[in-house]
Amino acid sequence: RQPLSPCVAGERLCSTEEATAGSGTYTRHGFIFSSLAGCLERRNEDSELPVVSVVRDSESQLLPNVGAVVTCKVCSINSRFAKVHILYVGSTPLKSTFRGTIRREDIRATEKDKVEVYKSFRPSDIVLAKVISLGDAQSNYLLSTAENELGVVVARSEAGVQMVPISWCEMQCPRTHTKEFRKVARVQPQFLQM
Amino acid sequence: MAAERGTAAEALVGQVVLPGDLLLLPAHYDEDAEGERLRLSAGAAPQGRLLCGPGLRRSGAGLLVTKCGLLRHRPAGGGAYWVDSQQKRYVPVKGDHVIGIVTVKAGDVFRLDVGGSEPASLSYLAFEGATKRNRPNVQVGDLIYGQFVVANKDMEPEMVCIDSSGKSSGMGIIGQDGFLFKVSLGLIRKLLAPKCEIIQELSQLYPFELVLGMNGRIWVKAKTVQQTLIIVNILEACEYMTAEQRKQALAKLSGN
Repeated sequence: RQPLSPCVAGERLCSTEEATAGSGTYTRHGFIFSSLAGCLERRNEDSELPVVSVVRDSESQLLPNVGAVVTCKVCSINSRFAKVHILYVGSTPLKSTFRGTIRREDIRATEKDKVEVYKSFRPSDIVLAKVISLGDAQSNYLLSTAENELGVVVARSEAGVQMVPISWCEMQCPRTHTKEFRKVARVQPQFLQM
Repeated sequence: MAAERGTAAEALVGQVVLPGDLLLLPAHYDEDAEGERLRLSAGAAPQGRLLCGPGLRRSGAGLLVTKCGLLRHRPAGGGAYWVDSQQKRYVPVKGDHVIGIVTVKAGDVFRLDVGGSEPASLSYLAFEGATKRNRPNVQVGDLIYGQFVVANKDMEPEMVCIDSSGKSSGMGIIGQDGFLFKVSLGLIRKLLAPKCEIIQELSQLYPFELVLGMNGRIWVKAKTVQQTLIIVNILEACEYMTAEQRKQALAKLSGN
């Protein structure tokens, strides 16, 4: 590896014939420009051109990509959608939470028009969801729970006690024995800690 | 929490209970002090189906009181316990018929003040015979009698003025004139009981129209303004009058 040299955003690094653009860079008019302020990193690959990327000192924020499974917390619900805060991407926690939206038709895969948001999620539930769209500048991430493995993993009952799932659509409170409706996730056995 | 022993539910019937009190049901009196031994009937209803009514919540072995008031018991049909509490603040409940005041007309949706924490929403299509061309004539400040279809603590309440078959069955815009006033929720429940004496005695006095909303609002209309105000005063005073005082007051009025 070559020694790292600092660069600023907008600095022209080299032409696209000499290297390929990596993370933190973009190509314009046949040249590679930096899009971040950080250190220039040139990595030599054997078969292809070397890869040029710009890295910052601190770890770069992990951004959810389309198709990534994220862990989020429901903050408010509506008859049309549920608003969530994205806390984890995969198994890495995020330093600052992103906002996401789960629309009513993305909650379940079957019988989409009979879904009631109140019977699937409640505020303060922890939900596993998949990113289906990054959204545009003003809107949030669009998420979906339309799979068996996605849905509510942790929920508290009205009495404040953590509930136990009893089916894919019901959870029961161990203290008051009342059942509440949720869209429950079927967590894969390898992720359960016994 | 498990260390505090509760008192027997039967001993407290008719007495004041406060939130946090734990009531023990008959099957669990001779439980161990530690409560370690699991009984086969632990967590299940003692005899038949015991109904846990408003103001109570099931908690492990017994019932936890969540509202202050008098504890009541009905032994019929497996037994039922509930707490009779005074309340003036209304909390929207699905299926309740309430009187709302239109505050905002926003496109396709009206916002109604029902006395709860949030204004309720009412779609213009939720009236009998309403279509996109045939809109109901609702203005800001109108009174509407309708029922809740969505009412919980997490979402904004939604009202409709039709029942499940599409008929209005008495719901809709309440007409002009008349008088709207507010009473406590307990009085509304008393007036809505079948064969309520107050309503029967009042109807012998003057003829009048009456709409009772479960959110504590009553709308009255009689032939003249004076008769309307007399009925309003009697209904407001009924909360604190005994039956004899009420009969005396009505006798004095009908004598006039």
